[in-house]
Amino acid sequence: MATVADPIPASPPAPRRAVVSGELNVRGLVAAHLWVAVAAFLVACALGVWQMWARSPIEAPAHTASNYFRSVTLHGVSMAFVLTTFFIMGFGYYVAETALKRRMPGLTYAWLAFWMGITGTLMAALSVISGNASVLYTFYPPLTATPWFYIGLVLVVVGSWIWCVLMIAAMRGWKADNPGRPVPLAMFATVANAVMWLWTTVGVAAELLFQVIPAAFGWNGMIDVGLSRTLFSWTLHAIVYFWLFPAYIAFYTMAPRAAGGRLYSDTMGRIAFVLFLLYSLPVGLHHLFMDPEHSNGFKFIQMFLTALVSVPTLLTVFTITASMEIAGRMRGGTGLLGWIGALPWGRPMVLATGLAFLMLFFGGGGGLINMSYGMNAMIHNTSWVTAHFHLIFGGTVVIMYFAIAYAMWPSITGRHFPSLKPLNLQLWLWFVGMMVMTLPWHYTGLQGQWRRVAAFDYSDPLIASWGPWVIVSLIGGIILMVSAVMFVANLALLHRRGIPGAPATIDYAEAVHPPTRVPSSLNGFGLWNILVALLMAGAYGYPIAQFFIDPPPQAVIHQLS
Amino acid sequence: MTEAAYPATAHDYATDSEELERLEAAMDDSPKGALAVSGVAVALLMICWFLIYAFVFLPRGTVG
Amino acid sequence: MAINEKAILKSELRWGAVVGVIVAIILGAILFAALSMHINPPSNREYIDPKTLHLSSEFTEGNLGTRVDPNGRVVSRVITTQFEFVPNCITVPANRDVTLRFASPDVIHGILVTGTNVNTMVIPGYVAQVHTRFTKTGDLLMPCHEYCGLGHSQMVATVKVVPPEQFRTDPQGRAVCGNRR
Repeated sequence: MATVADPIPASPPAPRRAVVSGELNVRGLVAAHLWVAVAAFLVACALGVWQMWARSPIEAPAHTASNYFRSVTLHGVSMAFVLTTFFIMGFGYYVAETALKRRMPGLTYAWLAFWMGITGTLMAALSVISGNASVLYTFYPPLTATPWFYIGLVLVVVGSWIWCVLMIAAMRGWKADNPGRPVPLAMFATVANAVMWLWTTVGVAAELLFQVIPAAFGWNGMIDVGLSRTLFSWTLHAIVYFWLFPAYIAFYTMAPRAAGGRLYSDTMGRIAFVLFLLYSLPVGLHHLFMDPEHSNGFKFIQMFLTALVSVPTLLTVFTITASMEIAGRMRGGTGLLGWIGALPWGRPMVLATGLAFLMLFFGGGGGLINMSYGMNAMIHNTSWVTAHFHLIFGGTVVIMYFAIAYAMWPSITGRHFPSLKPLNLQLWLWFVGMMVMTLPWHYTGLQGQWRRVAAFDYSDPLIASWGPWVIVSLIGGIILMVSAVMFVANLALLHRRGIPGAPATIDYAEAVHPPTRVPSSLNGFGLWNILVALLMAGAYGYPIAQFFIDPPPQAVIHQLS
Repeated sequence: MTEAAYPATAHDYATDSEELERLEAAMDDSPKGALAVSGVAVALLMICWFLIYAFVFLPRGTVG
Repeated sequence: MAINEKAILKSELRWGAVVGVIVAIILGAILFAALSMHINPPSNREYIDPKTLHLSSEFTEGNLGTRVDPNGRVVSRVITTQFEFVPNCITVPANRDVTLRFASPDVIHGILVTGTNVNTMVIPGYVAQVHTRFTKTGDLLMPCHEYCGLGHSQMVATVKVVPPEQFRTDPQGRAVCGNRR
């Protein structure tokens, strides 16, 4: 209850925002980015289904090793690099304008970045389809693809760097116009993600520019594989947090609003995003636990740091659950758990959040096993790993991408959805499909089923025992495909049909106590950049330097084209 | 008028003061429910981790 | 209960403490497994030149497979290459310390042995080494689990774990898969 010492303010801390009758200046930009992301997603889903069919005991069409690894490369590149980067950029532009209520600077540069991304995507995709780039989305030197594959991906990354600069500029511009005020949480988090992405891409950029692309052009005949794997690992874990940020932005700044309640704590939101910025980066060695080129010492250090990056997620689980509890109690839910039933589960953002948290339990739990140092040996390069990242990324994160798209789409198209049922059905199908697909993979992975296999020899009794589970996963994948098509249809239809008059913006969640001032450390990134540099120096300094101090024998380049 | 997919500018409560009243009442019991749900979830997570640790991982033997 | 921002933050801190305890317990269990149960990642930083593997004293054709060294250690040496294991069957005794050593003359490979914690990447330039003790007898699969090119799917070897009394070596100390039948 309010006390004399800490009274509830007489009027709401921020005025109710009137319907914005103005334009959404980034409308076309956001729509373009989202449609590219969605197109890549749809193609990749279809490829994924074919891949599971190929690996199952049931004969699949066009089933050759060459086609399989082309497909895996294209599926991985589309999902991991195209869907994500374009979605994140589009959502970032949307937040920059709607959360800051301010025209975003540098629209021309944003379009330049978009076209760079398209060009790069096409270069990479055509390289893969031609069969000259079956190196999977993790590259695996000394296997070397045609240089145009890598250059294509570099273009996508450089385009995303332009996005990062624009996000930082937008926040700086708002802060100049609003001295002393806290940056709206959605934008603070978006810029945290942009800063983190700049740090993240250093690893893969160094690997590509100094090692892999020269090798692809034939300028080197040899390559230090330990170094390239280490540089790639720098990017490999942090990139999944780059993907995760929009989902968490939705958890903190959209879901409480959608539920009709408030965010439990704005401060904790800022702290969580800062912790992600700090601890997503110095942990990549946990992808190299089974590698001989690093000592147990550094593997252990980075395992410890990985344990720390689980903290912001565990904090988020509480903060968002508490926010949902507030909304449920405001709607009349009573008792310890009555608020759960009282929530408006018919709203896609609320439904998606609930389903995302369920998948987070399994996906995050699997991740805890992966990071547990010696335990990694049980599951490294088995289907358990495939299960983990499909569940945590394909599940928890992508289901929130769907919900974000549904939230933005009325302001993009000017129409409200005529019915929410197809949206909710699509989300349920995604959840069910993802669980059905990934849970068997956990089991077969523990049995030893290994990854990146174009065809299993089902005459072996152990492998034969996996067959039925492979088919169950395939059924899950088909359900996902149906959901993916529904998602595209839901978005596409709103361009033509719907209830006109949707406003050109959305409202973000308010905190229980909206902040009037926050410490500069929770309003900017100067301090955190210094800490990231220190953490990276400590965690990655020697692991990279060792390749120069005591160079190992190099591997021979194996050109694919 | 059907429900909006994301209530862009509509509000669940008719007036600001009604929303604030309900918020105050909700905060009386918060965050008991969240502690219960999060606590149970994280406890289950720990248990599952330990079950796999003790019954799958350790029995598979020493490596180094 | 919690109504002002201070109280909210306090509840978050309390939850944070719970989270901290959980993370600490997990770290403790991991340390226990590493130090007491001797389950560690394979981190043997030992160099070998991929271009001259066949010329090295250790990974020459005649020295591959399982061998009991003069000092009584059981060591299995296997080359992983596109797209086969050489040899593609090794036999090892149960309940004895076994050292597995792998090297690659070409690209990255990796191995696991089904039902065990034996798992390592095989990186050209390094000798990958795993010390272990097999407890269950039988034929285990040892696939290459890291994508190594179009023939990756066919790259599978067998590890025959035999009861110690059935583990026989020839006069040079070598044990091959045909031996025990």
